[in-house]
Amino acid sequence: MGNLDTFLEHFEEAIEDVTPGSTNGATHYMELEVWDSLALLTTIAMLDAEYGVNLSATKLKALPSLKCLYEYVVAEVNK
Amino acid sequence: MTNKKVFACKRILIVGATGALGSAIARTLSLQGAELFLAGRDASKLELVASELDATAISIDLSKVDSFDAAIDKISALDGIVYAAGVAPLSPVKYMQEKHFSNCIQINTVSPLLLIRDLLRQKKIKTPASIVLISSLIASRGAAGYCAYAASKGALEASARCMALELASHKIRVNCLAPGMIESQMASEAGEQISEDILQAHMNLYPLGTGYPQDVADAATYLISDQSRWVTGTVLTVDGGYRAK
Repeated sequence: MGNLDTFLEHFEEAIEDVTPGSTNGATHYMELEVWDSLALLTTIAMLDAEYGVNLSATKLKALPSLKCLYEYVVAEVNK
Repeated sequence: MTNKKVFACKRILIVGATGALGSAIARTLSLQGAELFLAGRDASKLELVASELDATAISIDLSKVDSFDAAIDKISALDGIVYAAGVAPLSPVKYMQEKHFSNCIQINTVSPLLLIRDLLRQKKIKTPASIVLISSLIASRGAAGYCAYAASKGALEASARCMALELASHKIRVNCLAPGMIESQMASEAGEQISEDILQAHMNLYPLGTGYPQDVADAATYLISDQSRWVTGTVLTVDGGYRAK
């Protein structure tokens, strides 16, 4: 499991049209202009492919910032 | 469809009999007098449905082709087969995982073809007979995130047309049934993954409203019955008018 910066890179790679380096831990990713149903689906699929973490849409929506999401993924990976 | 015993003395195998569609089809055919062989992986669920319908339960793992022979040994010669088993992994192609794609193709495409092959070789399909393969609207209409599922169902429909031609001289008919999104476990799982509001927005696109497993069961019953004796190699769409738009 990489650090937060690596996680942000993975997120930005997944959600195309996000300018590289434009997000940080405080970013509320669901409020990004490019966020839509495909972005949601892609984020869930990326977390599964990159980290082996299965996340439902409901759970994702309860993790508003990228730091929250990252910390959840770290906890799941370390289980 | 009426509840007349139009399937009295007819033996029908339903694969994926514990799922929403498979169990609805099983109940409908049972009401009409069919002798059923119910196949599925979850032995306890299967026993429940089988005992309710006085059917024969056949435990089968569709990911293990070499287990088919043992399952087929328990089956008498069939008048009909319904293949309703399926998996629908949800992922954009960019993050599609090979294990999910392979499993999807295996369960949705390879296993039904090899099961039919083995049933034919063991002379377990009567003549005439009818084979119904549950496909999906996704085989003909794109939907983001479903590329693996679409590939498996598109291939299934193409294979069904070939089998229909190969088996026509034996009066064995092969057809597909392509439902839209049905209110079912698979839809609930999709809802969990893509979120309930997006799923509901999709469900609202059906001109005739929500489709239920019984709608698919009634269409499958028609394709299995002699009422469709001159129908083979086709895809019957059951989508509440979605494709008409």
